[in-house]
Amino acid sequence: MLHITASSGSGPLRDDACSYAAALDDWLATRPAALEAASRPIAAYDQRVAATSTLMGVLYDEGWARYGWPEQLGGLGGDIVHRAVMWDALARHGLPAMALYEHLEVLAPTLVALGDPDFMAEALPRFLRGEQVWSQGFSEPEAGSDLASARTRAVERDGGYVITGRKIWTSWARYARWCLVLARTGTTESRHRGLSAFVVDLQDPGVEVRAIEQANGTDELAEVTFDEVPVGPERLVGEIGGGWRVAMHILAHERGTFGWFRHNFLTREVLDNLSLGGPAGDTLLGNALLDLAAVRASSFAGVQAHAADTVLGPRAAFVKLMLAASEQAVNDWVLASDPDLAVGVQDDHVAVNRQDYLFSRIVTVYGGSQQMQLDTIAKQILRLP
Amino acid sequence: MTSVVESPDREFLDAAGAVLRAATPGEDPLEALGWWDLLAEFDDTDARGAALALFRAQGRELADTAALGALLAQPYLAATGSEPGTLVAVIARRSARGERFVAVGDVAGRALLVDRPGQGASVIPAEKAELVPVTVPGRLTLHEVRVDDTALTPVVTEADAVPARARGLFLGRIAASLEILGAAEQTAALAVAYAGSREQFGRPIGTFQAVRHLLAWAQTDCVALESVVTTAVALDDAAPERHDEVVKALAGRNGRRICERTMQVLGGIGFTAEHDHHLFHSRVLALDALLGTSAELTYALGAWWRESRGDPSAPVRALLAGAGS
Repeated sequence: MLHITASSGSGPLRDDACSYAAALDDWLATRPAALEAASRPIAAYDQRVAATSTLMGVLYDEGWARYGWPEQLGGLGGDIVHRAVMWDALARHGLPAMALYEHLEVLAPTLVALGDPDFMAEALPRFLRGEQVWSQGFSEPEAGSDLASARTRAVERDGGYVITGRKIWTSWARYARWCLVLARTGTTESRHRGLSAFVVDLQDPGVEVRAIEQANGTDELAEVTFDEVPVGPERLVGEIGGGWRVAMHILAHERGTFGWFRHNFLTREVLDNLSLGGPAGDTLLGNALLDLAAVRASSFAGVQAHAADTVLGPRAAFVKLMLAASEQAVNDWVLASDPDLAVGVQDDHVAVNRQDYLFSRIVTVYGGSQQMQLDTIAKQILRLP
Repeated sequence: MTSVVESPDREFLDAAGAVLRAATPGEDPLEALGWWDLLAEFDDTDARGAALALFRAQGRELADTAALGALLAQPYLAATGSEPGTLVAVIARRSARGERFVAVGDVAGRALLVDRPGQGASVIPAEKAELVPVTVPGRLTLHEVRVDDTALTPVVTEADAVPARARGLFLGRIAASLEILGAAEQTAALAVAYAGSREQFGRPIGTFQAVRHLLAWAQTDCVALESVVTTAVALDDAAPERHDEVVKALAGRNGRRICERTMQVLGGIGFTAEHDHHLFHSRVLALDALLGTSAELTYALGAWWRESRGDPSAPVRALLAGAGS
């Protein structure tokens, strides 16, 4: 069957997201083998990541994954709306999760905006192709919600920097080549003003990545230690002392648009479990549907705001709260529909349901806890005393 | 986000609020707003958006008009040969105590549209029906409408009524949801102001985190409802199947949740007749009970999703088109 080739970077697909959406739907409807392989439930995390990476490679080679990224960095132009369309389509056509490509949406927009252009011209295409992915080194054992108290240090040496410290809850560090590290270049007392952001090669000597086995049985989180790891000046993202701006850019983006990317896969999770559901769960399912509709409407507005270069600011906290509520509502229903996930794991489908259900209980913690989001709204939006 | 409200709607919202506030008894504020004329221009996106924006203002101001029934009747105007402003639909509701019709607002002097699924739609003058006042707080005029079956002669056949009924329900549910949003956001604003001024233990209660989080949740529920309902207005007939039910169920659920949280912040005063909170709360409860309660819609939507196996999400291409309109 003939299909429009996306890799030519043709104008209509770049300039009109609706044309891109229609062409991508047609292509996905041919059921490419890499999509089939990544759409099966896979309990083993390594295999799931491998299947998704293969799919990313195919999407890049065919051109689809290059839309929404700047031409000078290996993309084919267009904006975030293209990426919003692509992940929506992948979920609708069966892909169950973004896995470590969540970081493509969380980190890459900031790296594109604030990273070294020459370095990113090498790194972004590899990220998009699924060859070299990224992780985010923000949290530390003593700096969780209070990120400004981070202690990892970067010291100037030989025209570059040397990084020493410890990061924790670093998602996908085990699979990643690069880590965006928030490190202290000023004094501890300087709080957020004394932080800078660096790109660290996780294969460098002095870096140790220790996977953390999680309560849901997967191990995508890790503890990463840096023992005098040198980085060149091109690895600085933003300016010295500008690390907080980098972190806020990422978090504002993550909270405002991440809901769009993630909620599509929550809808997928429901669709993949509908045959297990019964009438007893119908009200739970109805509630999940309402919550998903709220995330979809509010996060699409976030995507549009981003495309228009508008900053969502503290209002992103609303989307973050709604997304967590929807993820828990979906998984409340999954638990009711598939109680096997609580008492026995017979196959990969149940195993994945168990992983997802348990993970949904922690979504009110990562990326800024629910309590921090509520505080942000109370202070910066409601202006309470 | 608030910015998704297109600016003509926003302008009309502000204007409607001012007119509804200033309205004197006996005067029809909808006339003053030119609202009835908008019903004849529903092919125009801006006119339709403005007509719907009225309901959010009604919720905020606790205005009492016949607009909801008029909107439900809008798709029947051509088939019944009625002029905008003359026809108001009664709303059927069913409870364990039986099925009944209710009319919202003052319907004296207008014609009543009585649409019975399976039997087509009839029109009778309000004077020919028995209107029994129902007392509900919330500054809302409600009548139970009793009509003799023999007085009902269908003027719109069932075949013609089917699409009009679906369209009327879509518009009516969106409108009721906007009115719930208006009432809920207004009482949330009252509670925020109260938390800033009411002192206990020597400081405003809005400094206590437990209180702040209640209000932040209420605001989150407001924003969620606002996003969903304004997106539905933009989608209009590109909305996916049963999307009006999704919007209405969310409105009822979030509206009630907002009122409960704000009442907790207001404390005892929020449970008195002298404070306005109960009026907003009662308005939300009354609207939740019309055109499908959140409880029955939520359950029905879940059952439908499970059985249909489809994807009920608004298609991304429709969202893109709605954003561009």
